[in-house]
Amino acid sequence: MGSLRFRIGAFALLILVSPSMGSEPPLRERIDRHIAAGLPNYDAIAAPIANDSEFLRRVTLDLTGRIPSATEARAFLADSSADKRAKLVDALLASPEYARRMQEVFDVLLMDRRRDSKVPRAEWEKFLRSSFAANVPYDDLVRDILSSDGADPKTRPAAKFLLDRDLDPTIVTRDIGRLFLGRNLQCAQCHDHPLVDDYKQEHYYGIQAFFNRAFLYPKPDDPKAVIAEKAEGEVNFISVFDPKKVQKTTSPAVPGWKPIGDPKLEKGKEYKVAPKKDVKPVPAYSRLAQLATAITADENIAFRRTAANRFWTIMMGRGLVQPLDFDHSANPASHPALFEMLAEEFEKKNYDVKGLLREIAMSKTYQRSSEPTVAGKDLAEDRYATAILKPLSPEQLGYATMQATGLTDVYRTELAKKYSEEALHAKLASNLGPFRSLYGTRAGEPEEGFASTLDQTLFVKHGGHIRNLIAPRTGSLVERTAKLTEPSRVAEELYLTVYTRLPSDEERKDIEDALRGSANRTATLGDIVWAMLASAEFRFNH
Amino acid sequence: MAIEIAKTRLLMDLKHGRPLVGCRFDPSGRYLFASSEDDTIVRFDLLTREKVALVGHSSWVRGMAFVSKPTLVPAASIPALAVHGGLGAVRMPEPFTLLSGDYHGNLLWWHGTEAAPKPFRTVAAHAGWIRAVAVSPDRSTVATCGNDQLVKLWSAADGRPLATLEGHTSHVYNVAFHPSGTRLVSADLKGNIKDWDLSSGKPVRELDAKVFHKYDSGFWADIGGIRGIAFNSAGTQLACIGITNVSNAFAGVGNPLVVLFDWAEGKPKLLKPKDAFQGTGWGVNFLTDGTIVGAGGGGQGRIWFWNPADAANTHTVTVPTNARDMTLHPDGTALAIAGANGTCLVYSMTQAPAATPKK
Amino acid sequence: MNNCNYACGTADHTVNRRLFLGGAAAGLAGFAGMTTPAAARELKSAQKRMLVIFLSGGVSQLETWDPKPNTDTGGPFRAIPTSVPGIHISELLPEAAKRMHLLTLVRGINTKEDEHGRGATIMLTGRRTEPGLVYPHVGAVAAKLLTDKDAELPGHIQITPRGGGGFNKEDAAFLGPKFASVTLGDGKPPADLLRPAAITTDAEREAFRKKLNDRFAKSRRSAQTEAYTESYEQAAKVVSRADAFDASREDPKAADRYGRHDFGRHMLLARRLLEQGVTFVKVSHTNYDTHHENFDFHIEQLGEFDRPFAMLLDDLKERGLLESTLVVVMSEFGRTPRINDRYGRDHWSKAWSVAMAGCGLKAGAVVGKTNANGTAVTDREVNGGHLFHTYFRALGMDPTKNFYPAGRPVPIADPKAAAIHEILS
Repeated sequence: MGSLRFRIGAFALLILVSPSMGSEPPLRERIDRHIAAGLPNYDAIAAPIANDSEFLRRVTLDLTGRIPSATEARAFLADSSADKRAKLVDALLASPEYARRMQEVFDVLLMDRRRDSKVPRAEWEKFLRSSFAANVPYDDLVRDILSSDGADPKTRPAAKFLLDRDLDPTIVTRDIGRLFLGRNLQCAQCHDHPLVDDYKQEHYYGIQAFFNRAFLYPKPDDPKAVIAEKAEGEVNFISVFDPKKVQKTTSPAVPGWKPIGDPKLEKGKEYKVAPKKDVKPVPAYSRLAQLATAITADENIAFRRTAANRFWTIMMGRGLVQPLDFDHSANPASHPALFEMLAEEFEKKNYDVKGLLREIAMSKTYQRSSEPTVAGKDLAEDRYATAILKPLSPEQLGYATMQATGLTDVYRTELAKKYSEEALHAKLASNLGPFRSLYGTRAGEPEEGFASTLDQTLFVKHGGHIRNLIAPRTGSLVERTAKLTEPSRVAEELYLTVYTRLPSDEERKDIEDALRGSANRTATLGDIVWAMLASAEFRFNH
Repeated sequence: MAIEIAKTRLLMDLKHGRPLVGCRFDPSGRYLFASSEDDTIVRFDLLTREKVALVGHSSWVRGMAFVSKPTLVPAASIPALAVHGGLGAVRMPEPFTLLSGDYHGNLLWWHGTEAAPKPFRTVAAHAGWIRAVAVSPDRSTVATCGNDQLVKLWSAADGRPLATLEGHTSHVYNVAFHPSGTRLVSADLKGNIKDWDLSSGKPVRELDAKVFHKYDSGFWADIGGIRGIAFNSAGTQLACIGITNVSNAFAGVGNPLVVLFDWAEGKPKLLKPKDAFQGTGWGVNFLTDGTIVGAGGGGQGRIWFWNPADAANTHTVTVPTNARDMTLHPDGTALAIAGANGTCLVYSMTQAPAATPKK
Repeated sequence: MNNCNYACGTADHTVNRRLFLGGAAAGLAGFAGMTTPAAARELKSAQKRMLVIFLSGGVSQLETWDPKPNTDTGGPFRAIPTSVPGIHISELLPEAAKRMHLLTLVRGINTKEDEHGRGATIMLTGRRTEPGLVYPHVGAVAAKLLTDKDAELPGHIQITPRGGGGFNKEDAAFLGPKFASVTLGDGKPPADLLRPAAITTDAEREAFRKKLNDRFAKSRRSAQTEAYTESYEQAAKVVSRADAFDASREDPKAADRYGRHDFGRHMLLARRLLEQGVTFVKVSHTNYDTHHENFDFHIEQLGEFDRPFAMLLDDLKERGLLESTLVVVMSEFGRTPRINDRYGRDHWSKAWSVAMAGCGLKAGAVVGKTNANGTAVTDREVNGGHLFHTYFRALGMDPTKNFYPAGRPVPIADPKAAAIHEILS
């Protein structure tokens, strides 16, 4: 924790000092300048700033993983203060839902929806959630994750990244590269990457050498296994393209940096605790202990680049470097100077996650409408002239559906004085299962792209789960609107609740028409709610 | 010599080398015929230890039976003719006929006592496997059964088909004549036992041994069958052996079981090994004192002895190989098993003679 | 006399495998959805298709395609002559033997993997298991490469013996869930395919959904929003063709021919799906993992397999579909030549066989050879990679081309192997 205290101190110092430095505009403005510089005539082409409804829905989904309630929407729309967006962003970042949202994003990112094997999900989630709630600097979080050997119950949850991958050298090497260095080195396992000059076989094995001496103790399939280490063992590799089959080796190394040589140890003094049957050995020098520091070291630019890119993507729906794990010189960032600046800034601000997200959320770039201008219509996404339409994650879709249909509010009312984010989440969690299993990617595989599959569609079309969510119950959307007599008010309630916006005149008329011809008002309202839930406007964050 | 079950001991091991499938002592007690996975039947001469291969089948044989003159071995063994540890045998057996049925459906006739027997008659008896062969007490009729779900009767004299008994709805695993000669039982995969009246050729009743059958829904396959069958000499009891309690058909996880029927009433009684042995019972017989003996195996083999009054067996002998068949010596004091390891093991159920002093 | 048709076609056996319900249901529904041979013939020219029959557990090559009778490993069964002079297969496949002139046997397979899961991976992906790398199954690859963009039905379907159908996201790997298999557990349509009775106003709510989407799309659209709205149109098409999944709509006479047991019904459903334009169908038949009493169990299982397999070959041939349909009978591996003490055979990948048919493969041919008692491949050894190349060559594709998941090239088939050119036309 020493390092954390130091960082808080340093941060405080920075705040005190920075006003006197004065000259540098806030990050949000620098983002906007860089983006504008990325396209001639950007200001004319770019979409206008999103209206309050659009912004409210977008930022609430991005920072808390759900949509606002109709009450929240009404309040925000009615608020006439000039700084209401800033206040909203601050409030969202301070909410327990923010920590939950980041916990879910980083769980999927780091664990790829794997099934639990050694660290129970609940403990891991709590570790992530409390880290994000406390705004633990991102490099500290990564160090926690890469340095825990799982032996101390207090830090064991952080070891899930390594433990639940069974320390498999191929998978751990691949994922450290992907997630913390922005480079997928898998194709460099057997030879230098055939297509990417920057990715060398020695990079792959340099990473692997950090943990090639590590193993699961007492045995790999023990659910209580911890990470132990031997004092010997080298990684050896031969390029399959090398006709001479020269065997090479490397000590631990961060790609692009000099290997961290092993210290010379006197013979017989290699171990603090020598290996014996049923004894966990402790080497005098641990390669694994170097990993967390080496990955997050200041000179390792790759770490802050990929870190900044990940948070940018959470907000913007697209990486400055894309794919996110394909950072190399032949695949430049869409806005190289912005990318560099963002990475430097994140590092300089001691990896202040909330700070970075706040600045992005308050940028014009983030707040652009998703409705393009005529000139912006066919522009490439990576110019950021129009807000990118982001498909909701499985969790976002689940929470949004529960909020829209009214289940979340029903539960809130039920909890009444006992309400807390955790208590509410506990009630919602079981309803989230089908969304995760149907919309989530394959266990153990990274999320990639967007697909709308037959099973998902049939789930919405015919499945009992959605039907039950829509079904009227006290406080649910159908029940609430069925009680309203004025069709225009029905339309308002529906649109505010499901779409976080007021209906247009045309849309009010549609609702009025549908209800006028209806023999069964509740059933018709159910059909309308279903259609709204099944629509693109609901499925995407726009 | 008196049977003393508790004294059961290995008398000799007769090696063939290739895994064995079935075994039968001939009625003279001098020979042991053992069929093998190499499609031969090996004749072990217990007196001379000579081994002769009977070549003629082109598949495995499990059904073997003999047509012979009556009672070649006297009730009490004749010391002069004793081989090994008092086992009775006839030095010069009367010629007898061996009948053997194979898994291609062929029934072969051999002169069992010839120096190098050759099949003198081949009858294409069944479509698919012949699983068992039996000869009637009057030695006039041969019964066979097999995977074509049929039981067939043949003239022992000339191999003429006499009758086909239809009615089973699964592979017929075994067939046996009642000592009276008027009835025949046949038993199938599903544990249905049919009692046929030989004068009419019609089934008169069914005995229920379904405890031997299971449809393993994990592997989508049937396992079961009556693997061994025998009447007592009085014809008052029928014993069947097989596998029951199957939890994994494809790994052979189940327990051997004998079902003992009271012939008149048709009432079954379950005889279980007292150890928790896993495997299949492959052979069953009655000793002259009424003891029921079964043999079988999983990884190893076992021989179990039951007093018919008790449900659990009274004595168990461990056999070092899966016992795939069992035959009782005609003098009543010994039995042999056909080993999956390619060896026939002959056990005496008598007290060992006093050890001859070492020289 | 020789032809003991080993099928245990007894009444109580079929009860075990659950009764075929075709008669009753078909009586009500009529045969509206029945595909005629003529209609099927029209289908044939357009598209190539693939059928995999997966004999789960590891079928014995010695009791099927590569018998070694009267050797120390051969077991008790005969090798019988087939419709192709000189080629013999096990007597347990009398119907297949009569159709040898349609079949191609690969007898020299050595997949070097005796574990079920990894063996299946080799056979279904054409590659060995590598940590961190997941390759798409053959069905996903076929669906991706061969399925028409406008196809109404899913391109990758598997029929499993048991209930519990649904959508699988594992087997398409990086090709994406669109090409992952839809499982018809025990041949039943997937959950939520059929509209529940409670929904009576589907047309109305669909119309409303479209109106909402049209309005949204006026100002905001992307490839993803298009794909999303489009998925409802596609789902509606699949729903409207739900009877494609209903084998009970086939002629009861066909059901009789295929055999009134689960596997017969599943094979008939496979025929129906292929005729309805599904690119890839896999039917699993279980189980062959015969560590105990290999011979009895192979009689039972192959007795069930042989006839429906032969009927499907006949039907594809008669309807002109065989020339555009690749049929492969595979397993995760074969079984040991050595017979164990419980009359079982154990797992064995060193020398085993696969049977194929159709799609221009050299019919009535055998490639590869094992030694006298089947313990080793002596000629033209191939592995899962070679087979995978061969499938896609036969299907008219170039398996040396790449997929580009996340922009990285991944060869369709293992570049260390190549097609078995001798059996390609």
